[in-house]
Amino acid sequence: MRRRVVASLGLSLATLLIIGLVGMAQIPLAEFEGPLHEIPVANPDRYLRAIDIGLGQPDFPAEELLRLLERLVTHAAPSPEKEAVLLPIVAALEEGLPIEGLVNKAFEGLARRIPLPDVEHGLHQRFVLLGEVRDLLYSKGIFSVAPGAPQSSPSAIPTPRFNQLLINIADAIGDHLEGGGSPFDGHVLFQMVRERLIMLEGVTLPPEDVELVLERLEPSDLTDAALAAVS
Amino acid sequence: MPHDELERILRDTLQREVAESAPRLEGLEERILSDLGERRPRLGLVEWLGQLLAPTRGGRVGQFAIVGATAAAFLLIGLFISGDLLDRVSPPQFELAPAVASGAAPMADEDSVSGDQQVLFVVPAPLNAKTVVVVGDFNHWEETALTDDDHDGIWTATIPLAPGRYEYGFLIDGRWWGEDPRADEHVQSFGEYSSVRYVGRGGDGA
Amino acid sequence: MYRVQDEVSLLRASLDGDTGAWGEMISRYKDAVFGLCLGFLRNRADAEDVAHDAFIRAYVNLRRFHLDKRFSTWLFTIAANLCRNRLRYRKNHPVAELPDQIKGGSDPAGDVAREDRQTKVREALGRLPYGYRAPLVLRFYNDLAYQEIAGILSIPEGTVKTRIHRGKAMLKQLMEEGA
Repeated sequence: MRRRVVASLGLSLATLLIIGLVGMAQIPLAEFEGPLHEIPVANPDRYLRAIDIGLGQPDFPAEELLRLLERLVTHAAPSPEKEAVLLPIVAALEEGLPIEGLVNKAFEGLARRIPLPDVEHGLHQRFVLLGEVRDLLYSKGIFSVAPGAPQSSPSAIPTPRFNQLLINIADAIGDHLEGGGSPFDGHVLFQMVRERLIMLEGVTLPPEDVELVLERLEPSDLTDAALAAVS
Repeated sequence: MPHDELERILRDTLQREVAESAPRLEGLEERILSDLGERRPRLGLVEWLGQLLAPTRGGRVGQFAIVGATAAAFLLIGLFISGDLLDRVSPPQFELAPAVASGAAPMADEDSVSGDQQVLFVVPAPLNAKTVVVVGDFNHWEETALTDDDHDGIWTATIPLAPGRYEYGFLIDGRWWGEDPRADEHVQSFGEYSSVRYVGRGGDGA
Repeated sequence: MYRVQDEVSLLRASLDGDTGAWGEMISRYKDAVFGLCLGFLRNRADAEDVAHDAFIRAYVNLRRFHLDKRFSTWLFTIAANLCRNRLRYRKNHPVAELPDQIKGGSDPAGDVAREDRQTKVREALGRLPYGYRAPLVLRFYNDLAYQEIAGILSIPEGTVKTRIHRGKAMLKQLMEEGA
């Protein structure tokens, strides 16, 4: 009896240590293959290449993406619809855009049982906004640099911080549009972006990043980005 | 009509209505007691567990408890070790709270920084609601249950959240409810409202 | 009104299965609970059903009630939630004409002027939105403090005060319109 108890304790110890260690490690690319084949997607290689790019980024939400894929596997909708939901995410990965907000939105759509075509539409809009806002920031001299690389100028921001700005700005515009707001309400858009950045200033966004953005962005800029998303 | 007169009339009227219904209420006690019949107040979870773990029940359950507790302790050690390893590999450049989406679901949040705040979610739901859950950015939009221990219709959950912005909503028996009056703001998402809270550094969650 | 200790003894006895004790609790609270329900629902049959259910629920869940808290608040919260349930059900299942609707009262033996005003109040109450009516009932029928009302309806205390203030103003206006 005693020996059995000790043995089972030892086994649980080993198993749990391993689980703990593995859980913390970065997820290997191979993990994604299974779900992609089970959904199934038409061209898994394309997805794997895109995910591989993502895995190279320090702020890549690997676990969340894997979870999303697993949720899609068990979703009742036909596989073309499921794949359509993934396409904006893949496109974003291919363009080096952060997918955290897109994955969140997809989770929300699934949790709320939104028809997948509507989820895809929402994601597509957000994807376009991410690209537009990134171009906008670049045009204002706000660049992203790889973390650890020397900062060439004060307006060059390490990529993870840049991505957080990008996601929040694009999301604020997306919320406005989804609420039926007009892309021509530049001042309203600016107000929404401003409020959001200020609420997060010193919380998840460094104050100097927020100040930089608010200094250089203008309402008309946001209208341009919003228009691109609804065209 | 002065307000205190209105109050007086209101009181009188309401009392009169009840008095008029007295025949109806006659024998209510008997009807209720007969409905209750053999029922006794439900045993609470604590009493039930108490009975389960009572010494007279023998060593078996006690053994499970010991194994479970030990396993949990080792899991924590394992996670602590691995968390430590990762820190050495990628030192953070700026002391930021973990980015919103990468905050793991609260139960498994071994990364949780001391800046986590306990955020209360409250839903007054219909009494025959079977399940009330919250879904949001903080739990991958997977369900975290609220509970209504004293069955007064108010369901609550307290979730530790790192500072940041969280979008969320509730599913009451599977139906979406996104207009939490306690939210900091509401946004339109997929055609209906969802709620947003900002959790700040220290202090009150605003 | 009742000594708290006395009530705690009755509750303990009820928990032990003493139906007489629970019967006594029902007697003490039935007018208060029924009046709350009638005020909220404006329909006698519904109010009776809900009051009945509230006492059943309270008994079945009695073990979860913390004996050092105020029993009336807990009981009223259960009743208020059941009422809200009932109204939601009504919204989804509209009935052409509700039976036992509280119309203007008929009081052949009473003072005509008083009856007239009471009639107006009853009708105006029926037309007041639920969110304003509920705090008024809890305040002017059940005589509860703002804080208690806030707890029962799960709204902030400040909101309770505002609703009562506006509710009274709306009531007056509705009564004048009905003139």
